[in-house]
Order: sequence, then structure tokens, then C-alpha cells
Amino acid sequence: MILTGDAIRHAVDSGEITFSPYDAASVNPNSINYHLGRGLKVFENGSWRDIDLPDDGFVLEPHRMYLGHTEEVIGSRQFAMRLIGCSSNGRRGLFLQLSADLGHTTSCHRWTLEILAALPTRLRPGMVAGQVSFWRNTGRLVPSPATYARFNHACEPQNGVTP
Amino acid sequence: MILTGDQIAQEVAADHIRITPFDPGRCTTNSYDLTLGRRLARYRPGQVLDPLHEPEVEYFEIPTTGYPMEPGEFVLGETAEQLGSDTFVPLIHAKSGFARCGAFAHVTADLIDLGFFGHSTLQLYATLPVVLMPGMPLAQVTFWTTYGEIADLYDGKYQGGDGPLPSRSHLDAWAVGARG
Repeated sequence: MILTGDAIRHAVDSGEITFSPYDAASVNPNSINYHLGRGLKVFENGSWRDIDLPDDGFVLEPHRMYLGHTEEVIGSRQFAMRLIGCSSNGRRGLFLQLSADLGHTTSCHRWTLEILAALPTRLRPGMVAGQVSFWRNTGRLVPSPATYARFNHACEPQNGVTP
Repeated sequence: MILTGDQIAQEVAADHIRITPFDPGRCTTNSYDLTLGRRLARYRPGQVLDPLHEPEVEYFEIPTTGYPMEPGEFVLGETAEQLGSDTFVPLIHAKSGFARCGAFAHVTADLIDLGFFGHSTLQLYATLPVVLMPGMPLAQVTFWTTYGEIADLYDGKYQGGDGPLPSRSHLDAWAVGARG
């Protein structure tokens, strides 16, 4: 089952969902909006180059893969998560999280974003980037080690399970 | 939990799901098949798309011979059907027959808010040459049960979508504030 906006607000208030910084106005009928952080990576000459997004933004080259991150630390000990790009971005041909949309229960960090633009597109820091939805589990929870959280510079310390 | 096709038909009959026009024969095991409408939209070439500013868009209809998409091309389409629910959360998916052609019905935004009702805008992206024909079944919608009180229903900038709706992020409070 997918949590309604009301259930998301209650779960943030009770600590079952971490979403920081949190603004109740970002909650939708069945998801919550996250925003784009300042760090961007582009793969050049065999390695990743860091780009700090300026206030007036950065234009993406079409069909080139970039990595970004969420402004918010997002996680839950109670619920599994799905993170997607918002439709306002998808409608511009700006694709986020093309492939790896699943957030495991107990993970808690700034998400690394997969970003690909079909058209020349300006990214702006702090823009609404997409939505996270939260899903109830069925079955016993046995957390597995969270490999990538250890290497994600943007991430916060794990909340709960250590790899 | 995800609804079965039979349950989707029952919830349409009970008015908990709205699909117009509705054909029970298009209920699949776990979804309802959606077809491509006649109208398309594309962004005028030569502009940099920016969340702060309204994009320049041109609209056109798919010719009877079809609209051939080039690899890497991106256009907006619409479902021929209007759909939505105040009770079950819809998720849009491509049909696998369309995706196996290297064409995507959307890439990033599959989640529909409770309360939305309208033609769903399709974010059509081709990785191989593919021809779009009106009425082709290219997408499907699934419906999911919710947890928690349904206190809010969607009433946003894409409500009542009719035809492919380009990005309207320039209308967001954030964009209005940033433009000054």
C-alpha cells in the first residue's frame, strides 16, 4: 500500500519518515516533493568531474548522463521508498532516476540522482526535482548492507544499519 | 496492494475509478490498456528549456500515415482516454510491446496524484526509429491501494489535462519568486 499525503505528514511528525529539511507544503496527495542539491557530476575523460551549480543554473547537454543529489536527507525505518522525477521535468524531457527508483527500508541519506536530458535544459539549484512515495512492507524486515551510502559524499550517516 | 483487472472493472462500475471511454475488454490481468491520442506537442528547437520560464511549444496532429520518431527524439503525446481516481493511486507504464521497440511512453514521472482526472500526458522518447499511430495501445495504468486518510486530492496545474500539456513549472511559487 502507498501512503497518502496525510499518512506521510503523520509519519514525518512521528519520526517514522526522515525528510530534512521538511516543509509540510511539499506534501502531495500521495507523495512529497524533493529538491535539487548543488552538487553535480559529469563523466569526462574517464573520470567524474564535480560541478557546483551556480545560482543561475547550468545547461545540460542533451543525451549526456549526469549525477546529482537531493537537497533533502530522505529515509524511513518503517517504509520502502520510490523516488521519481516530477512530471514538470519529465514533460521537458528531463529524466531523473531513469532506472534505480527503489529506496530500501532503513536507508537514510541524500539520494544520488541519475539525470539525463533529451533537450538542452537548464538545471537550477533548489528547483523541485521530483517526488518520493512511501510504501508499506509485508514480511519480516532483515536489512542488508547499504553499499552505496558509504561512498556517496552527499549522504548523511546511516540511520540505523551500518554496512 | 495492486488491483487486478477484474477489480479495476468493478471499481469503474462503482465510480471509484474513472476511465472514459471505458472498454472492459481492455482490462488486463493487472492493468488497463491506454491508447495514443491524435495530438502531439514538441518544443521549438533552438531554446534552452528552463524551469523558470514558459517554453515555446508547437502542437500538431499525427498524420494518417503516422508520425515517425527519430532516435533521440522527444515529443509529448496524450492518452486517448481520460482517467483518474480519488481512491486508488494510478501508475502509468509503457506496454512492453512499445518499450521493446526502444520507445518509452514516459521515463521519469509515472505516479499520478489522487484526485487527478484528465488525459494523461505521455512523455514519448525514442531510442530507435519508431512510428506513432493514433489509437495504438502503447501504455497501461495500474491502480494501488492506499494507507492513511485521503485528506487531499490533486487540484494542480495539470488538472483536467486535455491534449498534451507541456511543462508548467514556471507557474510554481518557487519559479514566480525566483523571477522576482
